[in-house]
Amino acid sequence: MLQTLQLYRRLIGVQIRSQMQYRLSFFVEIAGTGLIALLEYASLALVFARFETLKGWTLGQVAFIFGLAELSFGVMDLFFSGFDPGYFGQFVRRGRFDQLLLRPINITLQVLGSKFMLRRIGKIAVGVGIVVSAVGMNPIDWTPLKVLLTGTVVVSQVAFFGGLFIIGATISFWTVESIEAINIFTYGGSMMISHPMHIFPTILRNFFTFIVPAIFLNYYPALYILELPDPFNMPAFAPFLAPLAGLWMLFMALVIWRFGIRHYQSTGT
Amino acid sequence: MAIISVQNLSKHFKVFKHHRGTLGAVRNLFSRQHTIVRAVDEISFNIQAGELVGYIGPNGAGKSTTIKMLTGLLVPTSGELLVNNLVPWKERQKYVSRVGAVFGQRTTLWWDLPVIESLSLLQYIYKIPADRFTANLKEFRDTLELDPFLDTPVRALSLGQRMRADLCAALLHDPDLLFLDEPTIGLDVVAKERIRQFIQKINRQRGTTVILTTHDLSDVEKLCQRVLIIDHGKLLFDGALNSLKERFSSKRELLVEFAEVYDEPIIDSAEISHVDGSRVSYLFSRDDISASELIGQLSAKYRIRDLEVREPEIEETIRRIYEERLLE
Repeated sequence: MLQTLQLYRRLIGVQIRSQMQYRLSFFVEIAGTGLIALLEYASLALVFARFETLKGWTLGQVAFIFGLAELSFGVMDLFFSGFDPGYFGQFVRRGRFDQLLLRPINITLQVLGSKFMLRRIGKIAVGVGIVVSAVGMNPIDWTPLKVLLTGTVVVSQVAFFGGLFIIGATISFWTVESIEAINIFTYGGSMMISHPMHIFPTILRNFFTFIVPAIFLNYYPALYILELPDPFNMPAFAPFLAPLAGLWMLFMALVIWRFGIRHYQSTGT
Repeated sequence: MAIISVQNLSKHFKVFKHHRGTLGAVRNLFSRQHTIVRAVDEISFNIQAGELVGYIGPNGAGKSTTIKMLTGLLVPTSGELLVNNLVPWKERQKYVSRVGAVFGQRTTLWWDLPVIESLSLLQYIYKIPADRFTANLKEFRDTLELDPFLDTPVRALSLGQRMRADLCAALLHDPDLLFLDEPTIGLDVVAKERIRQFIQKINRQRGTTVILTTHDLSDVEKLCQRVLIIDHGKLLFDGALNSLKERFSSKRELLVEFAEVYDEPIIDSAEISHVDGSRVSYLFSRDDISASELIGQLSAKYRIRDLEVREPEIEETIRRIYEERLLE
């Protein structure tokens, strides 16, 4: 276990040192990802300039959810970018994945260590900024449990988004033509989770409650922290299901991933 | 003892029917129509430890599918495959720790890292003992002349330098078995020769078993005692390169420079293919007459100043084998 961690640290170290060699592009890209995140937020804020609330939620409340999702997706992308479906498909097609299979170490660890998108720091920083300003906009009555829950939500969302990436990467073993469809899945998932779930049609919300339990990763924790009423009458522990939902997603993704590798080894495509 | 034993090994791929266009893409999702492609079809062979074997065949013959099965990247459809007493794909990590591989087209090294850092990372990955690593690195720095670019990032290396660095990387952990796929592709004559000498040295001095796939038949000719030829998924030939030449070679050529210009210096058992003043070339086949008999007959009738026997090029032989399906 310790050896695994050390190996991971060394693989990531290589990635960081490699990126640092292109100093200018490194800083430009950090600024770039930050700017994109900022523009996404600005377009959300512009809606509120006209309509004041989004189905009853103020900008501050939506920003809280939105910021947490941006922050978590950024952190996830930092660690799981080896599984980024758009990148991983190419990785497999170019035979790079085969080369990893020729090394005597765990394949999942190697894919994790094959990329580390340091430039996501820009997105993460903007995410933190949005959360901080959202906290300022909401009169939150902070308790230790709320602080803990906020931190847990970030970790759980990282696991959740990581799971989405891994599933997307697995699909690209079968097909690269459908990369757009996979993106709907991954980026669509992050889009869903960065908005309050009650604005979506019931069927979509049910999907993200009972099949992909995303609602417990943003909406319910936010209801608890912001002390808002639950329109769907879930049990009182619903806000605290976040870590379970996140880990469940990641676990399922890894099961699918293993299946994908077995399929890959039997077809070579 | 056989280090590789392959029995009735087959790999079949399902190729799904591909429909075109947007509607076709939707149909592709549900269509189960397919044909079976037998990429590798019931091949058997053994390779002994310490052999240096050439594995050749035209594009799409099943070469790389075989290599992928041998290296554990692909699971066979049927048949038995035992390398180093392991089933490659079942015990991947254990198996690959005793194997080295160089795929000429792409590097296993980290693109943006200096060569030496990649190598020391590999020491960590393969858990190479410090003394083995130091000794091996010292030897390879010498024989592969790595020193001038040891601190250069891999992306800045020339093709020949990269190949040398990759060979070093593949051998640092003292593998029993080395897979080389097109190791001399794109290299100039000098670099090719250097790589070949190195491969030969590794095979002779360390006893490393080498499987070489290549399009460049001069690699095979210079390095391999034994050659396997595959085409359409079937193993067509397994044996010494010389016996292949003897069985299938096209005509040999005798170039003669006579002491004077003769008018039609005819000989029964060979035909004249080209005349240029006193220089005449004859074509003859191994079955009809040996080179020394032919020379004897010629020198009995004519005065010879100089002569040279040219063997048919191996390329020519192999090309004929593929095209005329001589081995089927």
